[in-house]
Amino acid sequence: MSDSSISKKTLEHLAELSRIKLEEKEEEKLLADLSKILGHFDELKSLNTSGVEPMNGGTEFKNSFREDEERTNTNQGAGADAFPESEDGFLKVPPVFE
Amino acid sequence: MASFDHKNLTIKKFHDGLLKRDFSALEIAKGFFKEISEKDSEIGAYLSLDEEGALRQAKAVDDLVANGEPTGALAGVPLAIKDNILIKGQPATAASKILENYVASYDAGVIQKLKTEQVVFIGKTNMDEFAMGSSTENSAFKVTKNPHDLERVPGGSSGGSAAAVAADLALGALGSDTGGSIREPASFCGVVGLKPTYGAVSRSGLIAMASSLDQIGPLTKTVGDAALLFNAIRGRDPLDATSSEPLASENYENRLLNPDFEKIKGMTVGIPEEYFIDGLDKEVENSVRLAMKTMESFGVKFKKTSLPHTKYALSCYYIINYAEVSSNLARFDGIRYGSRVKGQGSSLKDIYFKTRGEGFGSESKRRIILGTFVLSSGYYDAYYKKAQQVRRLIKNDFDNAFEEVDVIMTPVAPGPAFKIGEKTADPLTMYLEDIFTIPVNLAGLPAVSIPVREKKEGLPVGFQLIGKPWHEPDILGLGQYYEKTTAPELY
Repeated sequence: MSDSSISKKTLEHLAELSRIKLEEKEEEKLLADLSKILGHFDELKSLNTSGVEPMNGGTEFKNSFREDEERTNTNQGAGADAFPESEDGFLKVPPVFE
Repeated sequence: MASFDHKNLTIKKFHDGLLKRDFSALEIAKGFFKEISEKDSEIGAYLSLDEEGALRQAKAVDDLVANGEPTGALAGVPLAIKDNILIKGQPATAASKILENYVASYDAGVIQKLKTEQVVFIGKTNMDEFAMGSSTENSAFKVTKNPHDLERVPGGSSGGSAAAVAADLALGALGSDTGGSIREPASFCGVVGLKPTYGAVSRSGLIAMASSLDQIGPLTKTVGDAALLFNAIRGRDPLDATSSEPLASENYENRLLNPDFEKIKGMTVGIPEEYFIDGLDKEVENSVRLAMKTMESFGVKFKKTSLPHTKYALSCYYIINYAEVSSNLARFDGIRYGSRVKGQGSSLKDIYFKTRGEGFGSESKRRIILGTFVLSSGYYDAYYKKAQQVRRLIKNDFDNAFEEVDVIMTPVAPGPAFKIGEKTADPLTMYLEDIFTIPVNLAGLPAVSIPVREKKEGLPVGFQLIGKPWHEPDILGLGQYYEKTTAPELY
């Protein structure tokens, strides 16, 4: 585990990846909180986990298959009511390419 | 409505009274809305109400009863639903500004099941935003108060649901539990809260926070009611691939609803030494020991046990939680639903940044950013993979302990309900509220929080019974026997 503090530059990069606009004041508070939290996570360093199989879900189920059969969707289009902007029933978005 | 006693009315008593025509479902539903109009401005349990729909449903149940048609155990029962569970046509905000005007376009799996049971839905309850928090103070809309002391928090994140049941503003409620979000508020508010085995209840239509940890469960006045409500919502749902019928020996439903008390009261209960630590409030410890004493008196055998990796659970949990939060909350982008905030440029990217920057509260932002960090290349092995390995060790601890005991008993939270504002400054202080509940979610186990009934004064305190996977009948059976011994007036 490398350095457990986050620099301002790293935070801005993470916010960019997360698509979140942060205010200057938020950044300051976050930087302090993040360093503290990551500092706490350092306790895991002392625990030897070599050879331990990661547990990557809430269940030990492997795959959950269903029969490949025709199904009727009764709720089609229901989400259209929730579109923030629409035109003729279509979802309206700004241009994807600038 | 002379004979309407809110305080001691349970789901079970409601059903009996309904069939005996002591009252109508409509009378009771109206009674609850009256209580809400008188008390909820002070408590703040609800974010939205559906009085019209509720009264219509209550009337429909009364018609069934009048016609002598069969009515199930939950017919007409007025329930409160946490606001991250979708009811078609009702608001579902998850207490976030980003979903402030969102109206659900379909029913959650649990809601479909409860509609079949003809339940009456009173309204949607307040919570920490996207279920991130332990006090309901992270709600974007309001702070819910603890009905036992209005200066204190009800716990969280299902604080509105717990407060609604405790203040007699609903007969029962649904919450969701990712790291203690049903059990901790249940403990703070003096009600019963069950977090089922992972996969026992469908998560379809639950606004996802951390998918490998989230489970929906009941909050009720008694353990018997929790068993009834849990039985109605559990089971395989094709829309949640992790949901399942009980992977347990036969007669699961019968053992859940009609526990064999003779067998149950002689069970062996493990007491893990790692849960009775220095930071544990004396009042909590003494209360839990009182409940142990009662159980001992009716035949329970207690045995010391050890869960050696407990101290790593908090770090392990939050790394996994952050990672899953950052993925799950990526869908809130202002495009398909929820609020859309346009920037000056109003390009696609502007909308993302503005909508998410203004729509998410500070805890959500903290978790999304840290989740992005622990999943990023160069840090993945050190944080996320490491946490998944620790998760395995924690689960192994429970597997080993359950070789020798039937059930594990612990406190629910390190202290009773704390003051509003007391723990908001430092996120780690708030996180520590969940140290006794988190390991259960990591291991996917069932656990119930039950009020210490011997404690008559002061703030409520709960104890936790943890079961083996798919052994809800064990913990709910033992809990019921304990309740029948200590609070017979509830039965």
